[in-house]
Amino acid sequence: MPDTRRVKERLFLALVSLLALAAIAPLFHILATLAYKGMGAIIGAGLGFFTQAPAPPGSGESGGIGPALLGTLWLGLLSGILGVPLAVLTGVFIVEYRGTPLAGLARLSASSLVEVPTILIGMLVFLLLVKPMGHYSILAGAVAVSLVMLPYTVSYVERALSQLPHTYREAGYAMGMTRAQVAYRVAMAIAGRGVAAGVLVGVSKALSETAPLLFTLGSARGAYPTSLGSLLAPGDAVPLLIFQLAQTPYENWQELAWGAGLVLTLLVLLLFTLVKLLVREVRV
Amino acid sequence: MEPVEVVVRGLNVWINGRQILYNVELRALPGRITAVMGPSGSGKSTLLRTLNRLLDLIPGARAEGVVRIGPLDALKADPYHVRRLTGMVFQEPNPFPHMTIYDNVAIGPRLHRLAQSREELDDIVEWALRAAHLWDEVKHRLDEYPHQLSGGQRQRLSLARALALRPRVLLLDEPTANIDPASTEKIEQTISQYARENQATIILVTHSPVQARRLSHQLVLLQEGRIARRGPTAELLPNSETITAPELGRRLFYGLQDIT
Ligand SMILES: Nc1ncnc2c1ncn2[C@@H]1O[C@H](COP(=O)(O)OP(=O)(O)OP(=O)(O)O)[C@@H](O)[C@H]1O
Ligand SMILES: [Mg+2]
Repeated sequence: MPDTRRVKERLFLALVSLLALAAIAPLFHILATLAYKGMGAIIGAGLGFFTQAPAPPGSGESGGIGPALLGTLWLGLLSGILGVPLAVLTGVFIVEYRGTPLAGLARLSASSLVEVPTILIGMLVFLLLVKPMGHYSILAGAVAVSLVMLPYTVSYVERALSQLPHTYREAGYAMGMTRAQVAYRVAMAIAGRGVAAGVLVGVSKALSETAPLLFTLGSARGAYPTSLGSLLAPGDAVPLLIFQLAQTPYENWQELAWGAGLVLTLLVLLLFTLVKLLVREVRV
Repeated sequence: MEPVEVVVRGLNVWINGRQILYNVELRALPGRITAVMGPSGSGKSTLLRTLNRLLDLIPGARAEGVVRIGPLDALKADPYHVRRLTGMVFQEPNPFPHMTIYDNVAIGPRLHRLAQSREELDDIVEWALRAAHLWDEVKHRLDEYPHQLSGGQRQRLSLARALALRPRVLLLDEPTANIDPASTEKIEQTISQYARENQATIILVTHSPVQARRLSHQLVLLQEGRIARRGPTAELLPNSETITAPELGRRLFYGLQDIT
């Protein structure tokens, strides 16, 4: 009897390991391919990969992703200015004013926003911003990705703040702190890591989402958005460039797409590492 | 600063429609320690939270009656004014984990702008830590964090944080439950000294008849939200060396049964 049990246990373990491997394998495959092809593309193009515009299709040259990279950095920055404060404040509001109708409404709308397909968010911004302005723009793209990031960041912030033991809030109020002081000096400060994680997830979304940009960003593959005025003009972004170039039959453009994919991944990774280094974990 | 008297009259408290406190009457005098005792769930913490309006934080909580804290009509006044006069220490030590030992004590005086200079702030922090009998243990490690302290030290830090604001009324919710004997003794000394030297009004919730006897002048017994007994501690808890702690407790509650 004990022997068949042991055999069964072994079989089960083998099965589970195999399934786990099957789940991880594609991820490793993607990362390995990305690293291999991406590195190839970047090394082939040299430093120009980060600064130049894509070379003409089918030419032997590859050029670079300069304008798209700059566009993505703008999107990250603008969503950091527009989306992050809105999302963090919404999360704080939902937790600190829990029980009030307005907080309930905010929570409901934030969580419903997750369910809205991101392409629809793009269409919404198209109707509200692009049409009235008469043309696509980096700003419209930033508004769209900010809306996409919102529910993710809100729910991270909300979770981080509500996990905080109630006793610290009470201590704050008991010593005469206002709601804002409790939210900012106590709750946010203790839950700093969790709040930062929410900001990160949001900004990574802003950097890497494609769908919301389709209706909002337009196309400006060769123009560098170097002035504030250019934010009101069409632009380019790394994920959009990947999406569009990877589908073309031109080998030099496909290579650019691989390199761009690697750059995007590293960018997000860099962001995560930075925040991990900068935001101290509070030991409770 | 003016001594502040706490008067509670006809206080009823409900949480989510369930009545927690019934017609509570209480008078706590400056320089005196009032002990509040009673079984678990009898409403002791709720009573303290009503006095400093932490009750406002509980959704569905409602209080009726009169609570006077010095000049303030505490149930109607701005809660920030009420809390400015009162300090509170909770059952579990809760110094802010993200602040250093120094900042935990300094945050109150900073928020309420009690110090004009860094030196003044240093003085307040040292005074409060000395008052809480913690100074000697932490004076060389003020920039360390609470998680580096023992439970008893953390509780004394919570006490110092409250004292730094020189509250006229100090609310203590079982401050020595689960605290080591040495820290308990220091906390008890702090409480007595603060009441005496600052003419502060102290309300102490405790489960220990021995502690109540050692510290308090007056004793209030709560049972199921009602005041079951009230009077000078010396009368309710006779100071006899021969009576053991469990026996003291038994006497209290036998007494209760006579009344209720
Ligand atoms: N936040 C709350 N929400 C709902 N009910 C509560 C809340 N706080 C207290 N109560 C209820 O009020 C009653 C009194 O609780 P309270 O904490 O005041 O008792 P206590 O005398 O302090 O007990 P203990 O000695 O265990 O600390 C209990 O029945 C409790 O369930
Ligand atoms: Mg209690």
